Amino acid sequence: MEVVVFACQQAVPDPEALKTLWGLSEVRLRVLAEPCSSKVEAFQLLRALATPVDLVWVIGCEESLCRFSEGSHRAGNRMAYTKKYLGEIGLEPARVARSVVTPGDQSALAAIVSEIQDRFQALGPSPLRRAPDAAARRSAP
Amino acid sequence: MPAKYHIHMRRVPPRFSPLAKNTIIDWGEGCLRCARCVKEQCPVDAYRKRGFDRSQFVDTIDEMCRDCYRCVQGCPRELIYKAGNPQYRHLGDEYWTPEILAATWYQAETGKIPVSGAGYGGPFTGPGFDSIWTDMSEIVRPTRDGIHGREYISTSIDLGRKPMFLTFDEQGELAWSVPPLLELPLPILLAQPSLGASPRGMQEIIVQAAHHLGTLALLARDRLVPVPAEAVGLLMPSYSTGSLNLDDPLLSQVRALEILDQPGVLEQVEALKKRYPEVIVSIKVPGDEKVVTRVAELTAAGAEIIHIYASERARGLGEFQDLHLKDLIRRCHLRLVEDQLRDTVTLLVSGGIALAEHVAKAIICGADGIIADLPLLLALECRLCRQCTKGGKCPVEIDQLNVKRGAQRLVNLMGAWNNQLLEILGAMGMREVRRLRGEVGRAMFLEDLEKEIFAPLFAQREGELKREPT
Repeated sequence: MEVVVFACQQAVPDPEALKTLWGLSEVRLRVLAEPCSSKVEAFQLLRALATPVDLVWVIGCEESLCRFSEGSHRAGNRMAYTKKYLGEIGLEPARVARSVVTPGDQSALAAIVSEIQDRFQALGPSPLRRAPDAAARRSAP
Repeated sequence: MPAKYHIHMRRVPPRFSPLAKNTIIDWGEGCLRCARCVKEQCPVDAYRKRGFDRSQFVDTIDEMCRDCYRCVQGCPRELIYKAGNPQYRHLGDEYWTPEILAATWYQAETGKIPVSGAGYGGPFTGPGFDSIWTDMSEIVRPTRDGIHGREYISTSIDLGRKPMFLTFDEQGELAWSVPPLLELPLPILLAQPSLGASPRGMQEIIVQAAHHLGTLALLARDRLVPVPAEAVGLLMPSYSTGSLNLDDPLLSQVRALEILDQPGVLEQVEALKKRYPEVIVSIKVPGDEKVVTRVAELTAAGAEIIHIYASERARGLGEFQDLHLKDLIRRCHLRLVEDQLRDTVTLLVSGGIALAEHVAKAIICGADGIIADLPLLLALECRLCRQCTKGGKCPVEIDQLNVKRGAQRLVNLMGAWNNQLLEILGAMGMREVRRLRGEVGRAMFLEDLEKEIFAPLFAQREGELKREPT
């Protein structure tokens, strides 16, 4: 089981810190440092989900603090689009999410990590991950 | 005329997208839908070819992008940006920088010399090997048809004890047998790195690459994989303290071996040479505070090869932990010159040799050849995340790498290094790497320049008023 976090380098200067906060040994956390949360495009979020991973999260800065001025705002719009798209194709929109944080706010980061964990517990493994088992059951005599 | 030494390089594409230095930020929202979009005008067609690397979760556009900035400048709504890639910046550490990793990946993939065009914006000096500038005075007078032309530049070195004189008996025959000598076509030996997800696979790759290159593969004897008969002659087993057994069947097949320096090592070498006179023995000496005297002692006692090893970051060991490998080599070399024994022994060095220029610079400082270890792992796409040392999974699956493919990547890297050595030798007007050894007259050391030129220039004369900053 795997959770992928795309983390803006301003919001999360030390991606290793997120891994330290994680603590769930049975779920692999992969943190990918990005120059801005707006670097992550909708196709990346969807492809990541299709890999499959169980949850994809984007952490960006507060919109007023974005170094690319509009980056965080655009990332928000993109996330809304991705969720809508997932809903349209019959997948769970809750498997992608975005949080914003004030750069350097460690307590906010800890809160985000616990939010990711809660969401993961609530959703369970990705249906795409379960699909091969279901197919195997169907093909069994 | 003997055949010229040539390394056959062949492109080996990476299995994982190499992380790019810069990344494209593409804001699609607000696009004007121009009739002729800048993305369609990309010279490498990166926007159309882009994909998603499922193993690393990265957009593959960045590995194709050539940083021409055509799209960034051309988009009328300014929706495309380029920014530094934080994933690239987090690679390696302070010594094994992302630039070293990327340059090694490039050379292992293509076998070509990495060239950065459009001007160099970086510093011209730095610590360690970067404080040495090599002489390029002959670069304006190339040979008739380039460095690969008819005027052959030799990169061969000889391993073994060299007699300082010969004596002949009354019949004119040599009065004693000349010690064995092993000629390597390039001054680089391949050794197993101290880390890596698949030590056994790495050994197989190194053995095969050494066989292609005609150089030695320095591998630990106690964990050695079965070596094919045709490659065993280029194997140099390394014996740790107390592990040398004279009945080891491998000893009759190899031409050189290595023993760790320890009390009684000379007696061990003597016993070994009595039974296997044709085997050349290297003694591995730590680059600590005793290295200079130890190298002098061993050389005086008849050592054939001395391997001085430093830390992974090209620093000495023990009390010499702040001393750079170049100074370590220099001190040992000068001591042997002083003792008039330098030409008798072969000095090999290892630790922190990361780039091709480090090979030439280590030789300029006084080494005969170098032993490459960690760069061999980097050539196999290693990210230097060190997960393998913590029992973690290798992100680039080195444990699943095909031996032939891995060996070709090592051959490519060594080919690129050898070509860079040829470039340096050609630019110096030299025809032999053997002549480069200890040739400090063909290099400038920043420390010396600061002492001899800049210090007197900027020294304050006595009684001169100091200018206060305004």
